[in-house]
Amino acid sequence: MKEKILRIENLEAGYGELKVLKGINIEARKGDLVAIIGPNGSGKSTMIKSIFGLVKPTKGQILFKGKKITGKRPDEIVHYGITYVPQGRLVFSTMTVEENLEMGAFILKDKSIVKERMEEVYKFFPELKEKRNQRATFLSGGQQQMLSIGRALMLKPEMILLDEPSLGLAPMAMQDIFRKIKTINKQGTTVILVEQNAHLALAICNKAYVIETGRIALKGGKDIAKKQKVKDLYLGH
Amino acid sequence: MPLINQLLANGLIAGAIYALMASSFSLIFNIVKFMDFSPGAIYVLAAFAAFFFNIVLGLNFFVALILSLIIVSLAAIVINKSVYKPIRERKGSNFILLLASFGVFLIVTGIILLLFGAQVKTFGLPIEKGYDIFGALITKTQILLIVTSLVLFFFLQLFMKTTKLGKSMRAVADNREIASTLGINVEKTITITFVIAAILAGVAGILVGIEQNIEHSMGFIVVIKGITASIVGGVGNVPAALLGGFLIGIVENLGILFLPSGYKDAIAFLILIIFLLFRPQGIFGVKTREEVSG
Ligand SMILES: Nc1ncnc2c1ncn2[C@@H]1O[C@H](COP(=O)(O)OP(=O)(O)OP(=O)(O)O)[C@@H](O)[C@H]1O
Ligand SMILES: [Mg+2]
Repeated sequence: MKEKILRIENLEAGYGELKVLKGINIEARKGDLVAIIGPNGSGKSTMIKSIFGLVKPTKGQILFKGKKITGKRPDEIVHYGITYVPQGRLVFSTMTVEENLEMGAFILKDKSIVKERMEEVYKFFPELKEKRNQRATFLSGGQQQMLSIGRALMLKPEMILLDEPSLGLAPMAMQDIFRKIKTINKQGTTVILVEQNAHLALAICNKAYVIETGRIALKGGKDIAKKQKVKDLYLGH
Repeated sequence: MPLINQLLANGLIAGAIYALMASSFSLIFNIVKFMDFSPGAIYVLAAFAAFFFNIVLGLNFFVALILSLIIVSLAAIVINKSVYKPIRERKGSNFILLLASFGVFLIVTGIILLLFGAQVKTFGLPIEKGYDIFGALITKTQILLIVTSLVLFFFLQLFMKTTKLGKSMRAVADNREIASTLGINVEKTITITFVIAAILAGVAGILVGIEQNIEHSMGFIVVIKGITASIVGGVGNVPAALLGGFLIGIVENLGILFLPSGYKDAIAFLILIIFLLFRPQGIFGVKTREEVSG
């Protein structure tokens, strides 16, 4: 068994009076591609944001490679080798593609490494290279998602958190992005993939959790897709 | 056509000041998303600080200039940390922030009134002979004023486009939360933005001080004109603030051809109202985008 890279224990979090997460336990080992599926408003984004310090947990803890990261600020968390692809393709729309990627490498001091990484991202997403000097506003949805993921690859993270990368994309673009996510994972990066699109997510993961109203309703391997409940609720047959 | 040329020249001189103020407002608006009145206070504070060091203490003008800019930078840091940051952390609305900044404006100019009194003060520079340029008389100080404004503006653009700090300021302005996840210290970046905005407004105040004279109440009208200029250009669009500034300066001066000169200040208000009604996104129309995240 590979080393445990992420452990979330009894995590509770919310927004003011609103309790969203009511005791979540999740585990990932190095090299895992963990899918977390669940319906609208079940707390998927809240969970990912808690890992990154964007939402302050009220209870429980989060360990990354055995180190407690609960309560740290986002600009500290990134130094651990974790990066985040937010829901909704939140690229910097007023900046160019190239500047967006540069910002992804903000914590790197060495400019030559930044250049090198940028070329690697361009090799991985050739479409971005063609648009390197365009403002991110002018990209298609699929390209913005590539940019958002590319920005998170600039640090060569050990673990990448993806929040609904399929959201709002055309079927073709969706397939493309999921192939890329699988490739990123194969190259050794642990992936935590939050999705409403259970079909796609379960097809590429090796471990899955179903989250419902802030609790883990089911967990298992890829074969979780065969469970009747998952079929009924998420796979539509 | 010497009258028109003279009015145009006056418009450029006024416009240079409005452009500096408009960039100050726009920089701050971009990063904290509210119309902050404090650059108006910084403008007055800088002028009086320079007066104090240069005239009262008799220090060399450039020493006085540097000391004044240090003082306004510190003032901006204190204003942001002690007033705006607590409101931000309590998730106060932009309206509350705007009102708080108006309070800051009144307090700072009130303190200046207490310290220096209400009478008009001058730097007492010798009266200059103007150069005749296309029939318009322009003094050396006025040329210095326009050139300084343009040069500062140019370096501001260069800074925002090419330096890592400038880019991180733009990233925080674009999406604070995402910027933080990339390792950018958002609070530090906001502080730096306030300092740069204070230097722009401070230079404007000092330039006006040496070109004309200073009084504690000089800030209000420049707040209105600066904000109008930034709205006319397109709120938060820093390059457009330059054009907005010169546009207001020129239009209000040319207006004297048609209206009694007492209406000069009213023209800026009129432009402000027209733009707010019919083109709130300004000439260069970038609509401000709400930050949404899932
Ligand atoms: N910033 C916020 N302030 C207050 N409530 C919020 C905030 N963000 C989310 N919520 C609420 O928290 C609950 C969980 O939201 P969350 O975004 O985590 O769900 P999700 O599983 O990611 O849903 P989706 O699939 O729609 O993205 C919802 O009821 C939502 O309305
Ligand atoms: Mg979500």
